Amino acid sequence: MRDAERDLAALEPLELLRAQRARLADRMRPPWWYLTGVAVMYALVFAFPFASRFLGVSIWPFFAAALVVAVPLQWGWTRVTGMKMGFRNLSSPAPGRPARYAVVVVSLGAIVTEPLLIDRGLLVAAVVVAVLAVAAEAALQEVLLRGIRQELRGGGGAA
Amino acid sequence: MTAKPDPLIHPITRLSICGLLAAGADWVEFAALRDAAGISDSVLSKQSRVLEDAGYIEVRKGAVGRRPRTWFRLTPEGRQAVEGHLAWLAQLEEAVSASARDAQLAGPLPDDRDQPRRVLPPVLGSS
Repeated sequence: MRDAERDLAALEPLELLRAQRARLADRMRPPWWYLTGVAVMYALVFAFPFASRFLGVSIWPFFAAALVVAVPLQWGWTRVTGMKMGFRNLSSPAPGRPARYAVVVVSLGAIVTEPLLIDRGLLVAAVVVAVLAVAAEAALQEVLLRGIRQELRGGGGAA
Repeated sequence: MTAKPDPLIHPITRLSICGLLAAGADWVEFAALRDAAGISDSVLSKQSRVLEDAGYIEVRKGAVGRRPRTWFRLTPEGRQAVEGHLAWLAQLEEAVSASARDAQLAGPLPDDRDQPRRVLPPVLGSS
């Protein structure tokens, strides 16, 4: 076999691997129920300032309710995708890092802003902030998943 | 990381399994790996056993209800081998692409003017 033909034959596995990684990444496309579940979970989190102020409810029932949504959601997601991605913190260099920062900023912003608006009697504005925060978190989840798909296509740390 | 070929993962099926496990997921389930690699259950079982015996992958078996579930992940040793092998393949790809570019830039040799040109096709996905 000539050298050039042998070299090209050696490259075929690399091309095949790229196609296989793309197939693996496509498994990370979220079904409707996943983003809905994420929105419900964040709705519970951002409803806490209202319940705390008007109903005198402590943070723990909300924390437990968010967990009750999050745990089955994560279990179902792992089952559907067939992958466990592991936790990516803010310092992880993987794609989607700006979105991870944005998740934290939106969460803290909403949790701090809502009580301030409620205290000043701006209840409608507080509700709007909560709704926008839930929508933003669901959109950011989609961005995070896009980053994971990009990471899988690129092969993670491998070439 | 040293770019070097690894004879154990050079066969295409094992390279696919290891390359997919190195893509970024911690654990990958049997069916997901089989579908992405485009191989049969028996081939995946057989090749994964070879890789497990070599200490390149870790296998965890469990069950959801009555359905068995098998999960795979690379060991640090396996990751090192895959990254080295993929780096070697990437170097090879770069070399082939560079020689193809050189051949296109050089144009036909005077003696070859009447001969059909044989230029390596561009490698897909390379920039």
